[in-house]
Amino acid sequence: MSTTATSTKQPFGYVAEFESASDLYHAAEKVRDAGFKRWDVHTPFPVHGMDHAMGMKKSWLSAVVLGGGLTGFLTAFTLEFFTQVNLYPTVVQGKPTNLNTVPAFFPVMFELTILLSAFATLFGLLLFLLLPRWNHPLFESELFKKFSDDGFVLVIEAKDPKFRVEKTKEFLESIGATAVEAVEA
Amino acid sequence: MAGLKNADNFAKGETFNAGLLKWVLLMVGGGAAVLFFIIYAATGGGDDPSVFHRGMAYSWLFGVTYFLTLAVGGIFWTLLHNATNSGWGTVVRRLMENLGSVVIVMFALSLPLLFGGFRDALWEWFPIRATVLEEAKSHAEHELNDYRAELSVRIEAATKRLNEIKKENEAAMATASDNQKLYLKSEITAAQAKLNEVKAEEGSDEAMKAHLADEHFKHANTGLYKKRGYLNEGFWYIRFVFYVIALFSIIFVLRGWSIKQDQSGDPKYFRRMRRAACGFLPLFATAWTFLVFDWLMGLDYTWFSTMWGVYLFAGAALNSMAFLIILLTVLRRAGYLKEVITMEHYHLMGKLLLAFTIFWAYIAFSQFFLIWYANITEETKFYLTRNTAYWNTHAILFLVIGHFFVPFAILLIQGLKKNPMLLSAVAAWSLVMHFCDIYWIIIPERGPSLTNGEEMFVLGNFFTDILAWVAVAGIFGFGIMHFLGKGSLYPCRDPRLDESLNVVN
Repeated sequence: MSTTATSTKQPFGYVAEFESASDLYHAAEKVRDAGFKRWDVHTPFPVHGMDHAMGMKKSWLSAVVLGGGLTGFLTAFTLEFFTQVNLYPTVVQGKPTNLNTVPAFFPVMFELTILLSAFATLFGLLLFLLLPRWNHPLFESELFKKFSDDGFVLVIEAKDPKFRVEKTKEFLESIGATAVEAVEA
Repeated sequence: MAGLKNADNFAKGETFNAGLLKWVLLMVGGGAAVLFFIIYAATGGGDDPSVFHRGMAYSWLFGVTYFLTLAVGGIFWTLLHNATNSGWGTVVRRLMENLGSVVIVMFALSLPLLFGGFRDALWEWFPIRATVLEEAKSHAEHELNDYRAELSVRIEAATKRLNEIKKENEAAMATASDNQKLYLKSEITAAQAKLNEVKAEEGSDEAMKAHLADEHFKHANTGLYKKRGYLNEGFWYIRFVFYVIALFSIIFVLRGWSIKQDQSGDPKYFRRMRRAACGFLPLFATAWTFLVFDWLMGLDYTWFSTMWGVYLFAGAALNSMAFLIILLTVLRRAGYLKEVITMEHYHLMGKLLLAFTIFWAYIAFSQFFLIWYANITEETKFYLTRNTAYWNTHAILFLVIGHFFVPFAILLIQGLKKNPMLLSAVAAWSLVMHFCDIYWIIIPERGPSLTNGEEMFVLGNFFTDILAWVAVAGIFGFGIMHFLGKGSLYPCRDPRLDESLNVVN
C-alpha cells in the first residue's frame, strides 16, 4: 500500500540548511558559480546583497509596471479628451474645449496612471511568482519550516538541468550545509 | 558580506584643499559684483533713475535667490538626515552641512536689498506705503480745522437732540405705564450714548490727526491698509533679522556638533543632533516660508498663494540635491572620497533626485491648477503675467517639459542612477531648469512694476541678470570651498559610519 503511494512521487529537490546568513551568502555564490538555474534561498530576514550573490538579473517587473502606468495615462487622456472635446464639447468654468484645457484632465490622468501601475505591480508579481496556488512541495519539509524562525535555507530543484541525485547532495554538503533533506513532489 | 569595510579604517577622515580654485572663484565673483555695482552707480543719478537702473535690483535678487535656495536646501537635507537617523547618508552629510553653511554668505550678499534703491524698486509696497502715509499726514494737517468745526457742529446737534428727547420723554413719563417708562428711558440712554460717541472723537490735535490719517489710508489703498500689520517697514526688518538668525543658527549648531564628534568620537553629539533636528524642522519651515513670502511673493503685494512656501522649498530641496551630486562627482574626480562613496550612494541620491522632481511638479502644478480653475481675480494676476507673450513659451518649454517631463523620464532608468557622470549630467540639467524657474518667478514682475504696466520686458537687463548670477555664483563657490576646507570631508567618527560605508540598496 505504502509502496504504491510513494512510487508515484518524483523528487522535488534538496533543502539545505546553513549556520548563518553569512554562510548562506557564500554558499549562494558557489551555487551561482556552479551554474545552477532553478534554485532559491529563504531567510528569516532580508539579506542585503543576496541578489548579487545569487547572480540575479534585474527583474522584469518594472517593465510591467511601466506598461501599466502608460496604459492608465493613455486611457485617461483618451477617455477625457474624446468625450469632453470631440464627442460632446463641454464648457466648464468658461474653459476652452481644446488642447488648452488639458490641465483640467491632469488629476484623472495622474490617478489612473497610479492605479494601473499599482495593479500591474500586484498582478505582475503574482504572475511572476505563479501565485496563487493550493500547495507547494516544500511545505512537506521540516527543514524548510525553520526559515520563518531561525533557519537559513537553500533549495535546489530537481528540474535544474545540473541536478544529480548523489552529486548535488555531496555538493551541498561540501559548501557548508549543516543538514540536507530530499523533498518529493 | 565579502569585503565589508571597517569604519575604524576610515576614522582619520579626509581633508580637502581647494588651493588656488577658492581664490579664483572669489576673484571671478567679486570682480563681477564690483562691475555690477559700478554699472548700477553709473546709470543712477538724477531724481528720476532709468528703468534699466532700477531693473538691476531684480537682477541682484535673482542671483541671490538662486543660490540661497541651494544653501537652504543643504540645511534641509542636514535636518532630514539627522531627524530620520539616516544611516546611508552619513558619508555625504558633511557635504550637506557645508552647503547649508553657505547660507550666511548668501545673507551677506542680500544686504543691498535692504536699502532704498533696491528695496523700493523690488517691493513696490514700500514706496506706495510711504506715499500713502505722506498723503495721509498732509491730509490730516489740512483737514484738522475743518474736522474740528464739523465735530463741534455734530456735538451741538447731538446735545440738542439729547435735551429734546429728555424734555419730551420726561413729560410723557407722567402718564406712562411701567413698560412705556422703560422704553422712554432707553431712548434717553441711547441719545446720551450717541453724544458720548461723538465727543470721544474729540481729543488732542495729535490723536485727531492720527484718526484722520488712518481713515485716509483706509480709503486710499484698502489692500495695503488691511495688510498694514504685516507689510510695514519695522516688522519687515525684524523678520529679515529673524530669517538670518534662524537659518544660520540651525546649520551652525548642527555642523558644530558634527565637527566636534569628528575630534572626540563621542556619540552624545549624534544623539544631540538627532534630537535638535526634530525641534529645528518647524523653525526652518517657518523661516523659509516667510522669507519667500517677503522676498518673492512680496514682489506683487496684491497677490498671494498659500502654496508659495512649499513651492520654493520643493525647488530648493531638489536642486540642492542636484548640486550635491555634482559636487560629489567633482570631488571624486579630484581624488577625494574614492573609498568612501560607492555607486550605492549615487543610486540613493539619484532616487531622491527623482522623488523631488516629482514633488516639485506636483506642487507647481497644484498651485497653478487651483488658481487657473478657480479663476478668481485677485489670484490670477501672477499667472496672467506669466502666460503672456514670451513667458508662456518659457513656462511650457522650461518648466513643464524641461523641469519635469525630461528628468522624470530619464531618472526612471535604474542603471543611470548608478553612473556618476550620467547622473551628474541630469543634475546639471536640473540646475539649468532651476535657473529658468527662479527667472520665471522674479523677472516677469520687473517690466510691469517699473513701467506701470506699459512694458512686459526690460530687455537690456538680461545682461545684468547674467552678471549678477555670475557674481553670486563665484562668491557662493568661494563659500563652499571655504567650508569644505574646514574639517573632514565626511563625519569620520559617526557611529553610523559603518552602516553608511557598506550600504546596499
